[in-house]
Amino acid sequence: MSVELSIQNLTAGYGAQIVLRNLSLDVESGTLTALIGPNGHGKSTLLRAISGLVTIAAGQILLAGTRIDRYRPDAIVARGIVHVPQGDLLFPDMTVLENLRMGSYLPAAARLERQRLEEVFTLLPKLRDRQQQTASTLSGGERRMVGIGRGLMTSGRILMLDEPSLGLAPIIIDQIYEVVDTLRRSGRTVILVEENAVRAADIADEIHLLDHGGIAWGGTGAELSGRPELLETYLGA
Amino acid sequence: MDVSLQILASGLTLGAMYAISTAGLALVFGAMKMLNMSHGAILALGGYLSYFALTGLGLPAPVGITFAVLVCAAVGVVIYHIVARPMLQSDNFETRIFIATIGVGVILESIILEAFGPQPKPQPVSVPGSLMWGGVYLPYQNLMILGVAVLIMAALGFALQKTRIGRAIRATAQNRDAAQLMGVRIGGVYALVLAISGGLAAVSGITISSLSSLLPNMGADPMLKAFIICVVAGLGSVPGSVIAALFIGVFEAVVQYIFGVRFSFALLLILVILVLIWRPHGVFGRVQGVRL
Repeated sequence: MSVELSIQNLTAGYGAQIVLRNLSLDVESGTLTALIGPNGHGKSTLLRAISGLVTIAAGQILLAGTRIDRYRPDAIVARGIVHVPQGDLLFPDMTVLENLRMGSYLPAAARLERQRLEEVFTLLPKLRDRQQQTASTLSGGERRMVGIGRGLMTSGRILMLDEPSLGLAPIIIDQIYEVVDTLRRSGRTVILVEENAVRAADIADEIHLLDHGGIAWGGTGAELSGRPELLETYLGA
Repeated sequence: MDVSLQILASGLTLGAMYAISTAGLALVFGAMKMLNMSHGAILALGGYLSYFALTGLGLPAPVGITFAVLVCAAVGVVIYHIVARPMLQSDNFETRIFIATIGVGVILESIILEAFGPQPKPQPVSVPGSLMWGGVYLPYQNLMILGVAVLIMAALGFALQKTRIGRAIRATAQNRDAAQLMGVRIGGVYALVLAISGGLAAVSGITISSLSSLLPNMGADPMLKAFIICVVAGLGSVPGSVIAALFIGVFEAVVQYIFGVRFSFALLLILVILVLIWRPHGVFGRVQGVRL
């Protein structure tokens, strides 16, 4: 397997407030990498830095060997990195269908819109019935599914999911994780931010623990399960 | 009966003119949270450019109007690149751009004053003649203004709903980060909405001056009305602002007939206060939730 996304000595934050310090991380193609760690220690900021929403102060981000860290967000999406942000960030006044179609906004994705839409409806059947419903009237779980579906409409090779289970009922979380598992098995590279270390350990090929803006630990899910003290120290589990 | 129809007709004409200038203002605010205080000056510039093209250069009216619209659209693009873009990333963008565009407005007005002088000038774009219809007096000029407004609003509505770039504008307005994550180049969207808004301001300036006359500060009153309409409708709602503009045009015409012209602005402001007490985010506005 080859390294698809490489983050090297990344320092980034918001204005004078540095969130990520000298962080390095490699993501191999076709794997599911989970980022866990306490709130406010840089997991979301890392995703935002990769997708270009946060300007980086130092270091570099390479996609298949090419530097992408100075690109605008739209150019990064065009290169196949899809970010499904925390809190859904749907377009509230658009219908479910319009939201999904925004995912195929770029010409490369627009050509495959019909086919992708069918794939999304197969994976997330509930959205087919809700096509004409305005996004702001959906339930939390439905919103999350639209967010994921919209991400899948893009021509993304790397899918970054920021806490897809946040604030949802356990039964809905199970459904979301089934979808994530399907995506992983379809051969996509997935980067998953997750609060729940046990869930992450279940599904991930590789887990990284973020603390104070850096990687505090990295290993497989099984290795993490064998290190209860890590969970206790960092997550209070 | 005839009187009320007459009032309705002139109210709708007034509202149509308001709608053209308000839609541009609402579009820009909706897409980029930018209150463009130079909107009134661009409106005046559009009126004067049409005057210059027709009277000064002797161009036919359609060419002259197109010229005015294109130049004002270009002014919008220039404002984006020189004024808005450098401060987009700053904290308090909304306050800074508000103050900066007041400056832009002063510059544009001074240029108009320098070029054309302070005396009123007649707007050569006019359609003579009138129509009597069921006892209602309808000048062709007013009918043309109504027609132009309906046409522009329909085109704008269609573009926003049905075209790819229209979807990009709506997406940017509804969630800037998410729009970028879908691949929308928001810099392009911002430049475009300012261009559309500039073009609409020009049309508005030409129609307004065709009913009165050209003055360097002629944009002040329509812009104030446009702001009021935007606030009543809910800032950033384009369809809402069009409906509110028509309503307020008719309201003004009714008030002017019953109470006299001097009461119209005061009563308009009272109406705004009442609306904001009833719905603080405007009639068509959405409560902006802050998410942490």
